[in-house]
Amino acid sequence: MKQNKLAAVCAALALTCLCGCASEPVTSTQHSVALVAKSTETEFWLSVFAGAEAAATEYNVKLSILGPETEEDYETQNQMVAQAVQEGAEALVFSAIDYENNAAAIDAASSKGVKIVAIDSNVDSEAVSTYIGTDNYAAGQMAAQAALDRVEGELKVGIVNYDISSANGQEREWGAVDTFTASGRAEVTAVINTLAEARQACDDTAAMLRDHPEINVLLAFNEPTSVGAADAVEMLDAADRIFLVGFDSNVVTVDGLQEGSVDALIVQNPYAMGYLGVESAYKLLSGQGSGLDRTVDTSTQIVDRNNMFTMDSQKALFAFEQREN
Amino acid sequence: MKNRCPHTGLRITTILVSMVVGVVAIILCCCIFLFLDRYRSAMVQSAQTSSAQAVSQVSNTVGNYLMDMDQAMQLVKQSLLESTDSRDELLSAFLKFRPDVVAVTSYTSDGTLLDCWSPGREPKEHIFRNLSFDLDRARTSDGAFMTAPHVETLFEEYYPWVVTLTAPLADGTEAAWVSLDLSFASISSYINNVGIGQRGYCFLMDTDGNIIYHPQQQLIYSGIKSEDTAALAALADGAYADDTVIYCVTSIEGSDWRVVGVSYVDELVNRNVTEMIRLSFLLAIVVLAAALLTSWLLSQLLGRPLRGLADAMESFETDADHFTYRPVGGTREVQELSDSFGHMVVRIQELMTTVREEEVNLRKTELKALQAQINPHFLYNTLDSIAWMCEQGRNADAVKMVHALARLFRISISKGHELIPIAKEIEHAESYLQIQKYRYKNQFTYAFDVDPACLDYLCNKITLQPIIENAINHGLDLMVEEGHIDVQVKQDGDDIVFRVQDNGVGMSAEQIEAIMQRGPKDRTGIGIKNVNDRLKIYFGKNYGLHISSEPDVGTCVEIRMPKVREGDHETK
Repeated sequence: MKQNKLAAVCAALALTCLCGCASEPVTSTQHSVALVAKSTETEFWLSVFAGAEAAATEYNVKLSILGPETEEDYETQNQMVAQAVQEGAEALVFSAIDYENNAAAIDAASSKGVKIVAIDSNVDSEAVSTYIGTDNYAAGQMAAQAALDRVEGELKVGIVNYDISSANGQEREWGAVDTFTASGRAEVTAVINTLAEARQACDDTAAMLRDHPEINVLLAFNEPTSVGAADAVEMLDAADRIFLVGFDSNVVTVDGLQEGSVDALIVQNPYAMGYLGVESAYKLLSGQGSGLDRTVDTSTQIVDRNNMFTMDSQKALFAFEQREN
Repeated sequence: MKNRCPHTGLRITTILVSMVVGVVAIILCCCIFLFLDRYRSAMVQSAQTSSAQAVSQVSNTVGNYLMDMDQAMQLVKQSLLESTDSRDELLSAFLKFRPDVVAVTSYTSDGTLLDCWSPGREPKEHIFRNLSFDLDRARTSDGAFMTAPHVETLFEEYYPWVVTLTAPLADGTEAAWVSLDLSFASISSYINNVGIGQRGYCFLMDTDGNIIYHPQQQLIYSGIKSEDTAALAALADGAYADDTVIYCVTSIEGSDWRVVGVSYVDELVNRNVTEMIRLSFLLAIVVLAAALLTSWLLSQLLGRPLRGLADAMESFETDADHFTYRPVGGTREVQELSDSFGHMVVRIQELMTTVREEEVNLRKTELKALQAQINPHFLYNTLDSIAWMCEQGRNADAVKMVHALARLFRISISKGHELIPIAKEIEHAESYLQIQKYRYKNQFTYAFDVDPACLDYLCNKITLQPIIENAINHGLDLMVEEGHIDVQVKQDGDDIVFRVQDNGVGMSAEQIEAIMQRGPKDRTGIGIKNVNDRLKIYFGKNYGLHISSEPDVGTCVEIRMPKVREGDHETK
């Protein structure tokens, strides 16, 4: 009799196990992720969004994309962070306009349990689980090295940078300045911090070039400033005299590269940033966050006139998916 | 009888249940294993088939598209033969109806761009590099050929990804080649909508392993994903399954493009297999439970009657006399066994009764024989005494003696009954004592102490007389001073206790032992042993006679028997 009871208990146990297995939910709830960008205008950011949306589709994530109108407006960004958290975002994929002034908003979001993934430009917060983007210091070095390799003699460098409080712009500038200083034949003649907007950048660059006619190398550290610098060079008809190294891919700078106003482009991988940012957010939310690295370096490559139509450069420069812009 | 050996064997329930469940479990395991193995291979097979079907559909569609493009190319070729005006008109109409054609370009025999037609766009003045035309390849290939994907580089601020179809033109025209730049709009609509399973997809590559179109082309270009196209390019057409992925490769007829279908074994197969495993285990548990229940019921059916029989036998063993057999139900075999046991019980009880009756008869006969032996001896001694009394003229005493003698014989006969009322037995003992007192010339005195409540109960006849005789012969006969005999009858719970006490010389333990064992053969009279035996036969081993004696102090004989009333014991 005792043994029968035992058997009955075993059977009951096995049944409950099975039922447990069977009732295990296969469908998980859809996570909500917000991407707060620096801008919603440039090709760079559109490419980030395309990558983010691809990841959102693949991982069944509800993605909302937000970004201020100008790349200096960190206050709006902070509001957007708060708004996204209020609207129920469980994770933020964030690119900081201001390394320091965005920190409080991110900390506040994190204190409500929101996971933070930084892309492109980091923020001064312990809450950032992982940073996905370009190694900006190395990208700056790369830009300087591109100029050093292709220009002979003395280099008088003018730097067109954007907002001084943005982490990635400053890192790129340090990398470039360090490399120029180390080379011994280059001198940084002027540095301007203009707006990340082509027209303003164009005017400021033209002003700088007028003030310092000796400048023979120009570095511009993001897409709008590169476009502005290229316009300025073309406007002053200085394409032959000035070696311009720009950042990122834009139809204007790509045209400039073929026509001569732009001499080299440091091309980042925005699609990967967007994709990996949302993927990391999903992993954090679904409990696979332990495998994430603190920093993920997305690839960067130099494109100049000679290699611009190799397959690799084509892949880096031109988005496969055509966008309506 | 008490020390039975402990049972070490297993119960029938244990054996049956474990055997049935064990066998069922083993068979089930084998069946499930075999079934799942077969099922999995069947599932993989069907997944491969469905994958191959999807791929062949895509291949047909893309093949049709390519044929369509070939026809379009023929149309363009014909258009180019027309005069300039009608050619432009024809081509602009063509481009209008073919939105996926980005540009039509024609080239001279040295590869210079001659003309370019594109809806709403003009080519750049200085084309830095034209990726849409490859002079070396154009010269080496015989007919039309298709390039790998590249960026359209003819226009300003417009860089879509295209593939180029280039065909040679008939001699005699200015243009030697014409190219069509095709966007992926149509191809993507064919490929993107193909799903194999939940995550499976198709992509296009050429025979060299270049990806032509992939639903996640941008991911591949960004370096986040990759396809092992080098390995796939080496494979012939067909389906290839490894542990996780099923690849299905089909060439598109009339081109160097191939369609590759990628589907995942885990989602197509493993989910179904997991479902099956779950189902089979559920089934297995149900079957096992059923087997358990059945075997348990079966063992109950067999085991319970057997246990009932065993219990019955055990109780029969402990108390055969009062055992009444109730038949045990169950299967036919058990019923037969039960019937046999029932018959056996009846038979054994009959035999036991017979044996007891025979024993009783034996003792009765023995008693009668002894009585027949003792009486003459005792009789002539007593008659001698009576005659002597008459000679001396002690007529009154003689009359008393004669009366006592007469009473003695009447009671000892007592119509042949074995059990007589205690009152009669007391009367009998008293008559005997009277006679002996005369004969022994008042050498002893005696006294009776009888609980009047005991008088109506029955006792074996001639119980007290042998003991009194023993007391006189062994205890008092050898004494110098006057002896005394006390006869006591008392109740003790459900029993009645007779006690005969003398103050004679007493007996040693050996003497007591000898009296209890000795048969009546070596001496006359009914022995104490006979009394003890009769008591035990009639009332069981708990009853009987007990002698305690102390030399020079006296002997006490205690007789214990149950309270028996008239009618209780008549049958025995």
